[in-house]
Amino acid sequence: MTEPPLLEASDVTIRHDGHTILERISLEVQKGSIHAIMGPNGAGKSSLLAALLGQIAFSGTIRCHWRGNGRIGYVPQSFPVDPTLPLTVAELLALPRQKRPVCLGLAKHTKKKIAELLDQVALPGLANRRLGALSGGEIRRVLLANALDPLPELLLLDEPGTGLDTDSMTRLEAVILAAKSCTTVLMVSHDAEQVRRLADRVTVIDRVVQRTGSAAEIL
Amino acid sequence: MSALYAWIAELAQRGLLPAQFQYPFITRGVLAVLILAPLLGGLSHIVVARRLAFFSTALGQAALTGLTIGLVLGEPIGSAYGGIFGFCMLSALGMIYVKRRSRLPPDTLIGVFMALTLGLGICLLVAATRRFNIHQIEAVMFGSLLTVTDLDLLLLLVVAIIVLGALAWSYNRLLQDSLSPSLARVAGVDNAKIEYLFVILLTAAIVVSLKIIGALLVEALVVVPAATARNISRTTRGYFAFSVLAALVAGLGGISISSAWSVPTGGAVVLALAALFFVTFALGALRSSGGESAR
Repeated sequence: MTEPPLLEASDVTIRHDGHTILERISLEVQKGSIHAIMGPNGAGKSSLLAALLGQIAFSGTIRCHWRGNGRIGYVPQSFPVDPTLPLTVAELLALPRQKRPVCLGLAKHTKKKIAELLDQVALPGLANRRLGALSGGEIRRVLLANALDPLPELLLLDEPGTGLDTDSMTRLEAVILAAKSCTTVLMVSHDAEQVRRLADRVTVIDRVVQRTGSAAEIL
Repeated sequence: MSALYAWIAELAQRGLLPAQFQYPFITRGVLAVLILAPLLGGLSHIVVARRLAFFSTALGQAALTGLTIGLVLGEPIGSAYGGIFGFCMLSALGMIYVKRRSRLPPDTLIGVFMALTLGLGICLLVAATRRFNIHQIEAVMFGSLLTVTDLDLLLLLVVAIIVLGALAWSYNRLLQDSLSPSLARVAGVDNAKIEYLFVILLTAAIVVSLKIIGALLVEALVVVPAATARNISRTTRGYFAFSVLAALVAGLGGISISSAWSVPTGGAVVLALAALFFVTFALGALRSSGGESAR
């Protein structure tokens, strides 16, 4: 008997202000795969992710067949950082990882965990850097480090390559490919080259599902 | 408490403390500042992170309306906490409720609430001033050490313990939600609950601070300490510590100015805070002009 997919969306429809953003979208994401959702601007890709995260209302069903901790990791498309905000990378990563208020300092075990996470995303030694002093690529990798602990069963990435230079993109993609060995990735992208490099399966949407198949078939 | 005041007065008479400490109201003021500094300083950097500065102004103005409601309903002018707390809480929860359901920008909605509460306050003030001297109401508007009682201090202490305890318990989730509500939600934070919790804590802290700082100026104490600290802080730990320190130094400085020149305490505290802001602004500018090249 074949295993059910990790994520199964059926007839997902999203309406907002009388406009239909997504119409009867159905897709299946297999465990251990990198599945990309592609489409032009305004196709409803990010809205679909928001629906998967339970952040906007939708009709239809979204079902997850969890085999492990049932945790979802998420890296948003944008993370606006006030450059004057006195918050270090370590403090940001400590927020969901320790009970003690971060303004009273970081616990030893939290610092150790954060150092490991930063090593994992190839940003060693950046713990005490202010968030406002990071580049876009570094912030994206910090958010990826945040999403990877505790290891999620499903990792959602919203336009992971947006605004990154080639070097930052290469480093980020290496981390995503490494994550694939232990989690399932669903990413939204409009970058065909990136999808070709990373994805196993691709679903193209433009309010409705237009095509779905392996990356080789679609691209 | 009178034994404490007598002991402190004796120390002042012996020259071990400044001469002003012979007066119990100065001692009460200093004790109030020692409680207010961690309370409002601690809240202030979350207020700034959540962009609630204008919201705090609206709450201060709602307090004035709350006072007049309390007076019209028969509360004593020195402790119209029922009217102030009730109306401020109603306004705060109303503003957040509407903000979460409206697509209008938050500052526009707060402006609407502020206009509403001010209009109501002015109408009721006319009724209230028939029964009270306007100068008694001024004490609430601008703050006065002379009107602070032991009961006010006790209330301030109890509320400060509860608010700071709740703030410590929810701090990391509050900051996560302030930085990115969507990421916070994925991490299990209930965005609505945390927002309501924070405005309840902020409202309680503002209400118990009114007698010292004044309704019109209390907003300054929940915004300027954080703004002052932000000029020179690089970490959240430093941000918190400098916010509390700024509130403490300005509070004690304000009391000194107020007792030396007989000016309203709230105004003196805010002037001291503003001075600290510009000092740290200059320090921050100096450091970044040197630091940027070093980085």
